[in-house]
Amino acid sequence: MWTEKYRPRSLSDIVDQEEIVNRLKSFVKAQNVPNCIFAGPPGTGKTTAALCLAQDLYGPGYREYVMELNASDERGINVVRETVKTFARTRSIGKVSFKILILDEADNMTGDAQQALRRTMERYTETARFILIANYSGKIIEPIQSRCAPFRFTYLPREHAVNWVKRIAENEGLTIKEDGLEAILEISGGDLRRTTNILQTAASVGKPINEETVYSVVGRANPADVQGMLLTALNGDFVEARKKLRDMLLKYGLAGTDIIGQIHSETFRLNVPDKWKVKLADVIGEVDFRLLQGSNEEIQLSALLAKLVEAGAEIKRGQ
Amino acid sequence: MNVLWTMKYKPQTLDEVVGNQEAKDKILKWVHEWDKKPPKKRALFLYGSPGTGKTIVVEALAKDLGMELVQSNASNYRTAEAVQKFAGTASQYTTLFGKKRLILFDELDGITGTADRGGLRVITDIVKATASPIILTANNAYDPRFSTLREHCQLVEFRKLTRTDIEAQLRKICSREGVKAEAEALRLVAERASGDLRSAVNDLQALAQGRKQLAYDDVKWLSTRDRKDAIFKVLGDIFYARNVLDARRAVDAADVDLDMLLEWIYENAPHQIKDPKELSAAMEMLASADLYRGRIGSTQNWELMRYYVDFMTAGVAVSWSHKASGWVPFKFPTRIMSMSQSRAQRAMLAAIGLKIGRRCHMSATRAAKEVIPYLRIIFQSNEEQKNGLAKWFDLDEDMVNYLTAQK
Repeated sequence: MWTEKYRPRSLSDIVDQEEIVNRLKSFVKAQNVPNCIFAGPPGTGKTTAALCLAQDLYGPGYREYVMELNASDERGINVVRETVKTFARTRSIGKVSFKILILDEADNMTGDAQQALRRTMERYTETARFILIANYSGKIIEPIQSRCAPFRFTYLPREHAVNWVKRIAENEGLTIKEDGLEAILEISGGDLRRTTNILQTAASVGKPINEETVYSVVGRANPADVQGMLLTALNGDFVEARKKLRDMLLKYGLAGTDIIGQIHSETFRLNVPDKWKVKLADVIGEVDFRLLQGSNEEIQLSALLAKLVEAGAEIKRGQ
Repeated sequence: MNVLWTMKYKPQTLDEVVGNQEAKDKILKWVHEWDKKPPKKRALFLYGSPGTGKTIVVEALAKDLGMELVQSNASNYRTAEAVQKFAGTASQYTTLFGKKRLILFDELDGITGTADRGGLRVITDIVKATASPIILTANNAYDPRFSTLREHCQLVEFRKLTRTDIEAQLRKICSREGVKAEAEALRLVAERASGDLRSAVNDLQALAQGRKQLAYDDVKWLSTRDRKDAIFKVLGDIFYARNVLDARRAVDAADVDLDMLLEWIYENAPHQIKDPKELSAAMEMLASADLYRGRIGSTQNWELMRYYVDFMTAGVAVSWSHKASGWVPFKFPTRIMSMSQSRAQRAMLAAIGLKIGRRCHMSATRAAKEVIPYLRIIFQSNEEQKNGLAKWFDLDEDMVNYLTAQK
């Protein structure tokens, strides 16, 4: 996978996020790392920065001193706690006196789990340092935030993304048309992982990469046509909209909370009166909350679709 | 091999008896009172729905306390003489070796007609004067026939078992029988039994005996066994109810599983209700019903069940004007089918996601969402990359085939 093939191996290889990289380099020089939070949108290099820091700090055998955990995959805080305990209990035998624990998608942890994590962090400060990776630092509880050095990652500026694509293209011997490059940058919007995945997929489909290949690849890759579902509902076809929803949930395995997030951002782009947008936002928020409480995803989201059907009918009557 | 599972897995001690803790405590306390002298009420009257464990509790109790159980059932109650013969002497004399004696009059409901009244009168007389503890069982203690007898007994109610209790018991049996059963399958069997453990175990034996596995698909017909006609009638009664009471009553009248009924209503609402505003109101009611179902699930507070029923029945009925555009037949809930069909698929996505996650430093869910869609296109269009990536991710043949299949 090109995302891995071209992932930088050392802090010096990272071309962007200069300020962050410089601070991390100073940690390496001092052979000391505080607990950190890396926050920022997807594909901006958070995981890469953490891995590079570890490689620069420990050298080639870094895997022995680093553990990667994923908050979304580990079942409950108890697993995290137990794993952390066994990992952090033993002192590092190298010249660096601590090990590093990278906890990815930390903002997916519940408040309770984070409280428990906080205690674990405190207990093992001597032997372990934590790097928490999150999209939103706001979802990390205050006490953890105050114990960590914050790092804010931002979307890559355009010229860096262009260079990135060109470098891979050269290495892989690809021909990219100007409009193809434009399309990739436009769609991925500064998310380097997405950029790279689109590029690799487009390259696997046909020889010259142009606007058309890029859009066809992206279209095929995104069966979750949230916008299409919303428009179907607005046009009054509830049964069809519900079928689209069911496909997303069952066929493509999307989580209800992901769909609700997309619905929220799409709603404000819909061609409906502002008054309705606000009304819908209220319903969306309620559904979002209910899903967190463990209600049935399809039934709750369907109720929202029915609201859209109602909105569509009322708007039509008003015209 | 032909042993009934209800016998094979009959509890041997009081502790093993599922549910009805309160009743068990009461019975135990009462029996111990006999250690000093006969209590004021010399008989216990256990009552409650079939399959709630009345008889089994008495049998286990006798075993626990090492008492001799003198047991009788309906056929012995025909005449006064028969009752006298069975229990008269037993109630007056202790056993030969000083072992204590416990007398059980099981299934008193079996007494019918005037001919049997004599038997009932003798039982009452025996209860008044007995020297050994007596326990009676019946489904309904408040039947007028028992009014005199009741005065001389302490009543103990047996409640219907919860679905969770029944489910746990079924799970235990399956593991002892070496049957790998899906949780949803057992849940359906348990649910359908509506509090009757005996019938649940019998159903399970019929479905699972001699099998290695029991899937939801193997049992789901149970829920449609409630005859489609019956469901259609309930749906009609709910959608077209004239008032909220009628709508609620439609559920009480029919013996249908509530979760299944919700699926039916949810499937059919948009086909029956065409007006957008009314449909929206009805869907909101179903969402509220679902909300209460979730609350029942997380709090295990079954009292909330009534609100679940309120919203799915009365709520839907009042949401619309009942002006259907012509006759629209009710449809079978397709969601249930789609769910069991897609379960394997989702498991596959999760398994592939995990493999990708390990290589690409991300969670399985995230990988399923962000990487698999692209991987699928690559696998379908480029043989060379496909082979390389399959090896690198360490995907097995099924996974590769799944990703390569056109959709």
